Amino acid sequence: MKLLDIHNLHAKIGEKPILRGINLTVNAGEVHAIMGPNGSGKSTLCQVLGGREGYEVTEGSVHFEGQDLLERSTEERATAGLLLGFQHPVEIPGVKNIYLLKEALNAQRAAQGLSEVDTFAFMKQVRELTKSMGMDDAFLHRGVNDGFSGGEKKRNEILQMLLLQPKLALLDETDSGLDIDALKIVSEGINRLRGSDRGIVLVTHYQRLLSYVEPDFVHILYQGRIIKSGDKSLALQLEAEGYQDILDAAS
Amino acid sequence: MNPTRAALPQWLADHAPAAPLAPAALQQVAREQIHAWGLPSVRDEEWRWTNLRALNQPAPLTSAAPAVSPLMALLPDALFIRFIGGKLSELPEHCPPGLHISRLSDAAPDARQAAFAPVAANANDALLALNTAHADDGLLIEIAPHTELSAPILIDWQDEAAAYAATRVLVRVGAHSRATVIETAQAADTAALWRNSVMVIEQAENSAFTHIGLGLDGAARRLTDRQFVRLPRDARFTSINLQFGGQLVRREIEVDIRDTGAHCNLFGLMMPRGKQVLDTHTRLTHGAAHTTSDERYQIIADDSARGIFKGRILVAQDAQKIQAYQNSRNLLLSPTAEIDTKPELEIYADDVKCSHGATIGRLNPEALYYLTSRGIPTARARALLIQGFAQEILDLLPLPALAEWLAERITQTLSQEIPAQEVPVQKVAGQEVPAQETPQ
Repeated sequence: MKLLDIHNLHAKIGEKPILRGINLTVNAGEVHAIMGPNGSGKSTLCQVLGGREGYEVTEGSVHFEGQDLLERSTEERATAGLLLGFQHPVEIPGVKNIYLLKEALNAQRAAQGLSEVDTFAFMKQVRELTKSMGMDDAFLHRGVNDGFSGGEKKRNEILQMLLLQPKLALLDETDSGLDIDALKIVSEGINRLRGSDRGIVLVTHYQRLLSYVEPDFVHILYQGRIIKSGDKSLALQLEAEGYQDILDAAS
Repeated sequence: MNPTRAALPQWLADHAPAAPLAPAALQQVAREQIHAWGLPSVRDEEWRWTNLRALNQPAPLTSAAPAVSPLMALLPDALFIRFIGGKLSELPEHCPPGLHISRLSDAAPDARQAAFAPVAANANDALLALNTAHADDGLLIEIAPHTELSAPILIDWQDEAAAYAATRVLVRVGAHSRATVIETAQAADTAALWRNSVMVIEQAENSAFTHIGLGLDGAARRLTDRQFVRLPRDARFTSINLQFGGQLVRREIEVDIRDTGAHCNLFGLMMPRGKQVLDTHTRLTHGAAHTTSDERYQIIADDSARGIFKGRILVAQDAQKIQAYQNSRNLLLSPTAEIDTKPELEIYADDVKCSHGATIGRLNPEALYYLTSRGIPTARARALLIQGFAQEILDLLPLPALAEWLAERITQTLSQEIPAQEVPVQKVAGQEVPAQETPQ
């Protein structure tokens, strides 16, 4: 079943075109990795799918479960099941992490016509997830990402994913800035998200993460287009040969 | 000197208190001052952002029945004092040992003298002189040395059933004693009382006193209020000033740190909305070495409201090794709201640590995007961010039950006021990009 269907997607920031015709289909059960050098449009693609202000789609379409995604607001995309993991999660002092989690879960439940979550069951579940991500309960009562280290922020992103169980998780450089222990914990978290009814898109600069989370497909993004797609061996080839050889071969 | 000062409005010139509280000589001087000065105008340095035009006419009399203060249920142990329309109507039936509370008119002459000790110097102080001339009811709160009051003293100002009131309160905190006074003011949105009040706080050595000023409902309420605090050796004073409503609220808090080891906290949160004007001026003097202060003020202004903060810190020449921290952080929620903030540091000593900062910003669009990207509706995300900002000051309250209750009230206010509408944030080219709900 098609979860995400991107067709000929063009987008610009201000007057600067960044995406120049992206085509990508993600089916339920698949893990895709999108790799590419700096400035290739990886983060722009994530933000366009997330619905961030300032990114203008000039051509093409994106469908999520057959519905037009670009017509929807950011919160509607999230409650529909597309969740974005940020490269640089923002710090929000004053808003406790636990409030964010509860508000987000209740918003999702409301969109599904369900009642608010039972507080006791919610706390139990959140504590278990927190523990599984190697985080202390104290994180829940701190401001969202407030004073968190880079690794703590990324673990917090995965914690939210595990709670909200998106149909499609779009993870923007979730592996960057992680030491090896944190990378293992984050990878385990991502692997727990894998499922036959779920899609995962890993956007990454490095092959390293893909040793822990094996993708079904690897795509190379360059100058706003996917110039090459393959299986996981493509990532290994990239690691061994570097971007330049593949770019040269593809052009 | 005063070429074109507007005359005192006639209704104030005609006002004659039945039984003036101030010692006769002081009252006479004050009467002469107010006739010479009139009301402060925006040409007076301390009033340039706050227009008192609305006070030129007497307010219409309202006579709503006094409400029950919600704080009574919240703080059941509190020692409850009530003023209705500026007149003392209720005192606690029993005071714990070491605490004495009485009507100021019943107090000994020396207490009345002390209550009226601060004297107006120039037209900026016209409302102080006006209070001295017109005050006809008030309070003496006396805390004996070595007294720890576990329950707060709660002064409930029901600002209705009168058009104008002038009140004076003297608080004396004995050596090594500890006490908290909460002043809450509330009125129906239709009430229009103008209360011009003065509180004088005399702390003795090593005493700790907390004052919580809580302005609740009452969009039509007008309050001008001035507080004088004197800190001797090792005394600690905390002021928490929380203003959530009022057509015009102007507070002036003056703290004079006179001796070594003393510490002062000045915390404030003002949330004006509609066309409200909420204004606080603080003046802090470090007059002795080895004294410290911590000042944090936040304003959240919505609609066409105005929030004003001016914080003056003066460090005297021989006040070496002092530490003074001041931070004014402000949030503008609407393009027609206005915030004026001005830190003013005057430092004459050369070995001090002083830091200050002032920022005015809008809701962080990155934070808003992050919250909505988790599925939280825009209106709710805005409310969470506003609440989070306010929470930083509420967390400084020493009474958790009060902090929780206020947070809940803010949540309710925010959920009522912000329409839960869908705001598409991104459109395919060719279609119009809708107006952003969030100002950038």
